Amino acid sequence: MIQLHNVCMSYQRDATALSGISAKISKGEFVFLTGVSGAGKSTLLKLLYGALKPTRGQVVIDGVNITKLPPSQLPALRRKIGVVFQDFKLLPSRTVLENVAITLEVLGWGKKDINKRVYHILKQVGLEHKINSTPIRLSGGEQQRVAMARALVNDPKLILADEPTGNLDEESKERVFAILKEANVRGSTVVVATHDRRLIENSHKRFIVLDKGHVTEDSDAS
Amino acid sequence: MPREKAAKRPKLAREGVTGRLHYFVERAFINIRQNVLVNVLSIVTIALAFLILSLFLLVYVNLERVTASWSDRVQITAYFDRELSSGEVTDLTGKIRAIHGTLDVGYISREEAFRRFYGRLKGQESLLEGVSPEILPSSIEIRLKRDSRDSQSVATYVTRLRQFPEIKEVQYGEEWVKRFDDFMNLIRFAGALVGGFIVLAVIFIVANTIKLTIYSRKDELELMGLVGATRMFIKAPFLIEGMIQGVAGVALALLVLTGAYMAFLHNADIFSGIGIMESGLVFLPLSHLAALLFGGAALGFMGSLASLKKFIAL
Repeated sequence: MIQLHNVCMSYQRDATALSGISAKISKGEFVFLTGVSGAGKSTLLKLLYGALKPTRGQVVIDGVNITKLPPSQLPALRRKIGVVFQDFKLLPSRTVLENVAITLEVLGWGKKDINKRVYHILKQVGLEHKINSTPIRLSGGEQQRVAMARALVNDPKLILADEPTGNLDEESKERVFAILKEANVRGSTVVVATHDRRLIENSHKRFIVLDKGHVTEDSDAS
Repeated sequence: MPREKAAKRPKLAREGVTGRLHYFVERAFINIRQNVLVNVLSIVTIALAFLILSLFLLVYVNLERVTASWSDRVQITAYFDRELSSGEVTDLTGKIRAIHGTLDVGYISREEAFRRFYGRLKGQESLLEGVSPEILPSSIEIRLKRDSRDSQSVATYVTRLRQFPEIKEVQYGEEWVKRFDDFMNLIRFAGALVGGFIVLAVIFIVANTIKLTIYSRKDELELMGLVGATRMFIKAPFLIEGMIQGVAGVALALLVLTGAYMAFLHNADIFSGIGIMESGLVFLPLSHLAALLFGGAALGFMGSLASLKKFIAL
């Protein structure tokens, strides 16, 4: 599903975020990206959904080399990827329903089908009763789950989650992780960037450790 | 692990140009409703800018109308040294009517000229005792069409008149026509100058207002791109929204202007003393109203397009 070949990323000449990253993530895998703050986790995720282009190396997603992808074809790739952003990126002027519906609107779904599908996914994340609320009326954990619902609503092939459990209480963390595991069981490949070591240890899933832009450990390789 | 069946993709609801357009228009109205404060502020700002422009146009249209009515005084009189026969009059007036720019032609016989002269000497008619109409020349009075009343056209017209052998002398108030012409040119130049500045200011204000509206929603633009929306899908509702803002702003401006115009007419007595009302005030003609509405829509569209370019970088 994901192939990284000697990927390097520099924001400025002497500020290297990633250096020589090579890794392979198969379809249907659940992988944690971990490391301290500034290790390059978020940068790597951004490369995966095409928000950044590597300074060197190749990034292949679902057979498409996105480093060579023309900008006009990027939207089609992004429709296969569900992203849970660290800052949620919920639109404050829209309701929960409308926030989640964006993903399906982009795909051209009709109103009736959107409403049905959004209700279904909100029920899965336990927020169907908040369907008409605006994000500002929700707790941090609830906002996180709305962001997840938006990423999962079209059953994407690949789910990328950037610190999805950061700043959440234990109960919310469990819930969020369970939702991601469920999506993985349904067939999505899941990559989660987190610095929560306990979550990784309890999950018994593959993890890749980043440090100063280098892969220092890959549990799959050991 | 085998992938389970993904969410069944239903039949797309917005296929075809009409379907897409319907969605984009609907989305634009939903966006306006969801960002009502920003949109109201934007529409009011656009309305204020267009109010200044439409007020200027209203004043200009009426000023031009008043000054154009002054040009009715432009009249050419061609004198003869003898009385023409009715056949000659018919022949000559026919030829003069055929000259480009002629509005109407009237023959004034010596008798008619004498009657007019007599009429002007009210109370002093005795001065003309023993005087016969023969002392006055017969003439032809010509009025020109509005677009032929400038000094250049009048001079050309007079030159053609002088080519008729029957005509001995032509008078047309050369100095007055020239001064009037200069005045009209000054009015037009000042109008173009002030109008040009106002149009530039309106473009600047509208473009920046819409830019601020879009800037306030840059997160939405970014998110749309991240969930896989194409540039067209992101831009179209914003462009339509910009057009709606522009048209709504102009409509509001014209509404206020109409109200102000009606109030002015209602209090016309106050202004009639300074002669403004005598020429008959008019509101902006339909063509101007349509141009303003079109201008509002075009500015809204262009303003949105220019701003979106800065924020959408897929």
